[in-house]
Amino acid sequence: MAEEKQSPAGKPLISGYLMSTQLMELDGCTRCQECMKWCPTYDVYKDRPEITPMYKIAKFRELLGSQYGLRAKLFGAKPLNEDEINQFKDDTYMCTTCGVCGTVCESGINTVELWEAIRPNIVVRGNGPWGKQSFFPMLLGKDKNPYQAKQEDRLCWVPKDATVLEASEIAYFAGCTAAYRQQALGVATVRILNALDIPFCMLGKDEWCCSSALVRTGQRPIMRDHAVHNVDAIKDRGVKTVVYACAGCLRTATVDWPRWYEGYIPYKNVPLAVYLREKIQNGEVEWKRALNDLNVTFHDPCHSGRHLMHINGRDWAFEAPRDVYNSIPGLNYKEMTRSRELQRCCGAGGGVKAGQPDLALGCAMARVGDGQAVNADVISSTCPFCRRNIMDGRNEMKSDIKVADQVELMAAAMGLDVTIPDNPYMQYQEQDEILCKGEVCQLEEIAETKAQDVDAY
Amino acid sequence: MAFYTLGLTFWIVIALTVVVLGFWIYGLYFNFKKWGMGSTGYQDELRHSFWLFIATWIHEAFKSGIWVFVKTLILDVLLLRRTLRRSPVRWVMHMTIFYGFLTLAALSGLGLFMDIIEHFNVLGLAHQAEMVKGYMELPFDIFGYLLLFGATVGVLRRIFLREVRSRTSAYDVVLLGGVFLITITGFYAEWLRGNSFLIGDAFANPIYAPHFSLLHTILALLLFVAILPYSKYMHVIAAPLTILANRGGE
Repeated sequence: MAEEKQSPAGKPLISGYLMSTQLMELDGCTRCQECMKWCPTYDVYKDRPEITPMYKIAKFRELLGSQYGLRAKLFGAKPLNEDEINQFKDDTYMCTTCGVCGTVCESGINTVELWEAIRPNIVVRGNGPWGKQSFFPMLLGKDKNPYQAKQEDRLCWVPKDATVLEASEIAYFAGCTAAYRQQALGVATVRILNALDIPFCMLGKDEWCCSSALVRTGQRPIMRDHAVHNVDAIKDRGVKTVVYACAGCLRTATVDWPRWYEGYIPYKNVPLAVYLREKIQNGEVEWKRALNDLNVTFHDPCHSGRHLMHINGRDWAFEAPRDVYNSIPGLNYKEMTRSRELQRCCGAGGGVKAGQPDLALGCAMARVGDGQAVNADVISSTCPFCRRNIMDGRNEMKSDIKVADQVELMAAAMGLDVTIPDNPYMQYQEQDEILCKGEVCQLEEIAETKAQDVDAY
Repeated sequence: MAFYTLGLTFWIVIALTVVVLGFWIYGLYFNFKKWGMGSTGYQDELRHSFWLFIATWIHEAFKSGIWVFVKTLILDVLLLRRTLRRSPVRWVMHMTIFYGFLTLAALSGLGLFMDIIEHFNVLGLAHQAEMVKGYMELPFDIFGYLLLFGATVGVLRRIFLREVRSRTSAYDVVLLGGVFLITITGFYAEWLRGNSFLIGDAFANPIYAPHFSLLHTILALLLFVAILPYSKYMHVIAAPLTILANRGGE
């Protein structure tokens, strides 16, 4: 029997999650309006200023004031207006948590953390999350991935002749999207690591979803299980370095898992781009093909860029992927106007892809427009979910631009066979394909996927 | 020239100042306590503690060491680096308002202190106190003009930049209008006293000068000092504390 949802009326506005310094941040906003210039969702919905950080902070401060302000102290708190709370919920969830507002904020407000701390209160109160986002806890709790796929199929895409160890000092954490929806990325990564003679292991059915979707949408309860399980699974294999080709997994593993894991974490998390750059710089990579004079531009994923630049440094966050592109023969690198810490979010993050697909699509179209403005043939990224959303934007615009992951471009230039072995998820694949014949590589679009997913970022 | 007018005496003004400062301090305490309602760490319960807010703030601000704290204090709080990166015009505006207001507030405090020394002839220094007040006229003028410049830029931005104007709320109007009003009345008070830098005694009017001085003082005390912790003015305190707690921000 479906659990009846309790009415939020009468429940407190905040129930935990917000740090005292975050409550202070609400009063630190100077209303300079800088965030409004950069907000990717406001760019799509210009008629809704209330979804911008400045207005959301003002609204939440007002709601808090009605409960805990001076007037409330003197005369008692006013009953919360549920319509107002629901409106605030809508505004709060129309945010990809990309964090550009925090980057440009004059008061240095850490907005990503703020939104992610406000959302759980709305969820606990019973107002949030938004639409399909509410399926995440059920999906991840039951299947350990958001695609309702079988855990034992985690490695079904690994070519028979590839070498993946049971345990090793280096691990490749593929993530759910590479395992079930963009397997070409997984195959390319495995092929490259094999070609470079790097012994590595994967977690297989012990790899659970990183749970990024839960953190971003404020649904934290089963987050702990996933974080603890994944860290333990990695530790059990004696891993010292974990490489990630998914920006979302990388961010969650670097920032969020340690918050839930109480023991010592003995390994370091490394973006695959950083790892591969080192191999390229050491002369270990042998290029066999040139990429047909392709104009490629890089979409910085928010999760591996802005979210990690203060932890891993700007070099890891922004320069490593660019160095890799600039090393690939036949590739002309083009920089979009908005790049690095000021890049424009693709629109998929923060649960927006699942909750407000139209908004996600609008953001993606804006990003495709950025790529077109620099005459790019390919928009490339290091995040499967950015790639998926930008592809959706491209399809909506009927643009000729192609979308590819960095690893796949690199594998093509290394002359590696990235054919995906037959597996139960072939019909759900959602990536443009790189087809290489002899010396020539071309990118082919996949028009449509049969997947009907709850998109998990 | 008499400063106290309309039946006000030295004691009434001192009492008024003490009351306003008390109200101000309570406001700060109230805000700190309100912030202290939050937790002390990620995924933690609410605490409802003034002292735990202080402890959490110190912990966050010094998390990366004292050098990062000092660097953030100088570059981001005192020199407003984050604002400069985004908009040089806004940086000039904020710097002039920030330093203009801060210095004038400090000078006003010093002036009050000199008033007390002069009034009670503390340690027989009444004459020297009067002299110090004389020396303060020039810095009062300089920082007054600085503040006037910043406030004018702020008002003009809100009037002439369409995007900024369209998003200006009553909140912003009260804040900026308040700053502008305090500044302008301060200038009038100076001009009417007849000892202003640049203007000299062109507008000197011994009859109305005390009235304007009083008006300016009351506006400054009420609009800025008393209302500060209970309004958007609070960002004057919360924004630097936020920058420090976030060690310079994103």
